[in-house]
Amino acid sequence: MNTVDRDLSARAAQGDLSAFSQLVHEYSDLVYRVASRILGADDAQDASQEVWIRVWRNIKDFEGQSAFSTWLYRITVNTCLNARRKDSRREQRETRDDFLYLPEPPGGDNDPEAATLGRERMSEVLKALQGIRSEHRAALVLRHLEGLGYAEIAEIMDVPEGTAKGWVSRGRTALLLTLVPETGSHANGGGLS
Amino acid sequence: MIPEGERLEILEKIGAYTAGELEGDEARRAEQLILENEDNQRLSEAYTRMLILLSVMGQESPVTPDTVVDYAVQRAYYSALMRQTETFFSDLGRSYLDAFVYYLGLRPKQESYGGGF
Repeated sequence: MNTVDRDLSARAAQGDLSAFSQLVHEYSDLVYRVASRILGADDAQDASQEVWIRVWRNIKDFEGQSAFSTWLYRITVNTCLNARRKDSRREQRETRDDFLYLPEPPGGDNDPEAATLGRERMSEVLKALQGIRSEHRAALVLRHLEGLGYAEIAEIMDVPEGTAKGWVSRGRTALLLTLVPETGSHANGGGLS
Repeated sequence: MIPEGERLEILEKIGAYTAGELEGDEARRAEQLILENEDNQRLSEAYTRMLILLSVMGQESPVTPDTVVDYAVQRAYYSALMRQTETFFSDLGRSYLDAFVYYLGLRPKQESYGGGF
């Protein structure tokens, strides 16, 4: 853990409000980003606020054995998963049926039309993410959007590394099937012997 | 017709290969699976596009609304204030109780063990 974070978290644990305020300013983007990817933009704000309340309440229990960011990721993911459990209706939210093509990656040029198209596709992916089982989605977000390794994902989600790998794998497959439903019937075992 | 479970297993295997997460024999088997079947090649391409898109999305960060930061800091200040107030009043209450107990003479008499008086 970097020494600044260690110092800030230790001071915040002693009730130092300016240290806590610094942590909030430094890490608010991480919390909001992860919450918006797991829950969607509509619920991200409430979840982020809930995360910081939990951080303030529990920072005394943070022993500094892992990086502060890992501990924060854990609280964020748990808060988001709890929020999803409370609103189980969202689990049955249907994704659009007319998404029959796979999005092309947005171009790197300065074409505003391409940029708009890329943004639309990203929002479709974010929407499709909401249709995936919560744990799988959280693991997928941590792996492919946050770029974390499996060991850290396992630590954040408090599961063995193999489980984290399985969740990412299932999340990845579920996302592809949501985006391109016909791929489910394409997978062909021919030639594997 | 491939059973559903096996089909999902193939999908996951191709996904893991495309994400660069397979090594050795597992990677070779996945390669073979992709090379020998056009549908699987299309699947692999679809995965690649999806992963590129996720990677691009990962580089973008939504802007945190100011209200989130303000609310978090305000709540912490409020909570600290409440904690201090609670401590102050509980200390004050305890002092008053001690004084009252002393005034009523309810406190057990402390015996002296020294001096020989």
